[in-house]
Amino acid sequence: MALVKKVYVVDDDESVCRALQILLMTFGFEVQTFNSPQKFFDSVLIDDPGCLLLDIHMPGLDGWAVQKKIVESGSKRPVIFISAEKSDIATGRALQAGAVGFLQKPVNGQTLVDMINAPADDFESRVK
Amino acid sequence: MKPEIIAKDALVPKRLSKIIVSGNLEDRVRRQTGELKIQKGQLKQGADREKLGADRERHGAHRERQGAEREKQGADRERLGAVREKVAEEQIRVRTKAMDATLDGIFIIDARSADFPVTYANSAFYQLTGYSKSEVIGKNYFLIYGYEVNVRVLEEIKQTLRQGKSFHGEMLNFRKNGEKFWSLLRLAPVRGAGGLITHFVGIKTDITLMKQQDLEIQEQREELLHVTRVGKLAEFVSSLAHEISQPLTAILSYAQAAQRMLNGREPQLKEILDYIISDDQRAVEVIRRLRALLKKSKPVFESIDINLLIHETVTLIMTQITIMHKTIKFDLSEALSPVQGDRIQLQQVLLNLISNSLEAMEECSDSLELLIRTRRSDSAGMILVEVTDSGCGIPVENMEKLFGHFFTSKPDGLGMGLSISRSIVEAHGGRLEARNNSGRGATFYFTLPVKPVLQSGI
Repeated sequence: MALVKKVYVVDDDESVCRALQILLMTFGFEVQTFNSPQKFFDSVLIDDPGCLLLDIHMPGLDGWAVQKKIVESGSKRPVIFISAEKSDIATGRALQAGAVGFLQKPVNGQTLVDMINAPADDFESRVK
Repeated sequence: MKPEIIAKDALVPKRLSKIIVSGNLEDRVRRQTGELKIQKGQLKQGADREKLGADRERHGAHRERQGAEREKQGADRERLGAVREKVAEEQIRVRTKAMDATLDGIFIIDARSADFPVTYANSAFYQLTGYSKSEVIGKNYFLIYGYEVNVRVLEEIKQTLRQGKSFHGEMLNFRKNGEKFWSLLRLAPVRGAGGLITHFVGIKTDITLMKQQDLEIQEQREELLHVTRVGKLAEFVSSLAHEISQPLTAILSYAQAAQRMLNGREPQLKEILDYIISDDQRAVEVIRRLRALLKKSKPVFESIDINLLIHETVTLIMTQITIMHKTIKFDLSEALSPVQGDRIQLQQVLLNLISNSLEAMEECSDSLELLIRTRRSDSAGMILVEVTDSGCGIPVENMEKLFGHFFTSKPDGLGMGLSISRSIVEAHGGRLEARNNSGRGATFYFTLPVKPVLQSGI
């Protein structure tokens, strides 16, 4: 249980990646960022533990498509969508797609951390 | 008005002034005896003159054979005159009936009187204006227009008449009961012997229906332009909002991270970070409100005959096409099932593609023809619409960027048209693509499903 929780951030905006990384590090997470879904898929294995913070509006594969790909690969990775999109419609769609939740940008640090922590225990027990 | 005409008369040689005087006499007679008789009289005069000419000829030819035959000739002449008069009367009758049968208002104004009195009007004129014969004949022509009519147009007509020219123009008229109608008015001078203007003949056509159709087309065009503008603005604000929300997200996260790192130390710095956070949230709120304000209206899906929609859309910009001296050709497949779509949005797409093509052809002045094709697509359940121009084509390096936001090749373009068009077509379950033609120019084409699409949550 002394495991350092790992968070992956996928967002095409480099500054958003860096800022979320710094913020989450202050909460004690180990954070790895990617500014394209492809880079994420290239370096993170399906079974590597960790929660994914996923932007929706990205060139090429968008967030919805990335999440679909993850689900289809059989991975149980918890996914949290983050987007500037309006939250009420997107939240429903995110939950329907099997994600942990949706947060509208800009995200409040504590809210984000609570959402990451919520499924984490669950996740760890699943992986073990 | 009147002095001008008198002055003109004063300059007329004596021989002509005689005619004028006799004309005035005629006029007086006319007012007493009524229009038909005067016309008959005029025609009779003409017939008489003709008769006289014929007589003279005969007179010359038969000058040597006089005497005994002379009396007989006289009798013949009289008989002939009577026949001619009958023919003339018949002609007048037919002409008057014909005038009354036309749907255009026809009227004659006396140009020699400064009052411009109306001396004749056909049935259609009375029907059109709502006035009765006694309210029109002998009355000043301009009074028939009433007080609501555009004074400037009326003044223009007066000026034209005073100068002895023809008038041609459209104007809003009012019937006697105040009802509005649009009329096309044409006035032409009628010249008597010696070339002097004696009358004006006018034709008044009710063009209210045509005008209404014009206005309807105009309104539709405006509405479409408005929707397009709003669509562009919404799309613009949406991409702007997205671009701005990214740095705002970063700023908030940085500030919150800094606060956590301070962990209660440096209270002044913490306060500053609080201000940064609250201002960041203020900016976010402004953008959210802006977005809500320009929220895209939901598409209204209905069954649409794409060929009909193409024709309707082209009607909206026919004027532009004509002004640009371009022609538009259609190759529309008739055996197409209706598509499910939002009429206004699909019109927007068509209008955008046609306008782009026209502009592409404007750059190459010798290209004239635009082709719109429809047919069944190779992929099942889809129809294909193609807009082909003969312009300069699309440079290869622009091919990929064409449908992106803010991409434009025009100096005053916003770069939203094609990206909006593509998102509309995609929301309809189709695809919008472009290719360069093997000859010259480019083709933009899109597909639309004929079966209703399941609307996604977007």
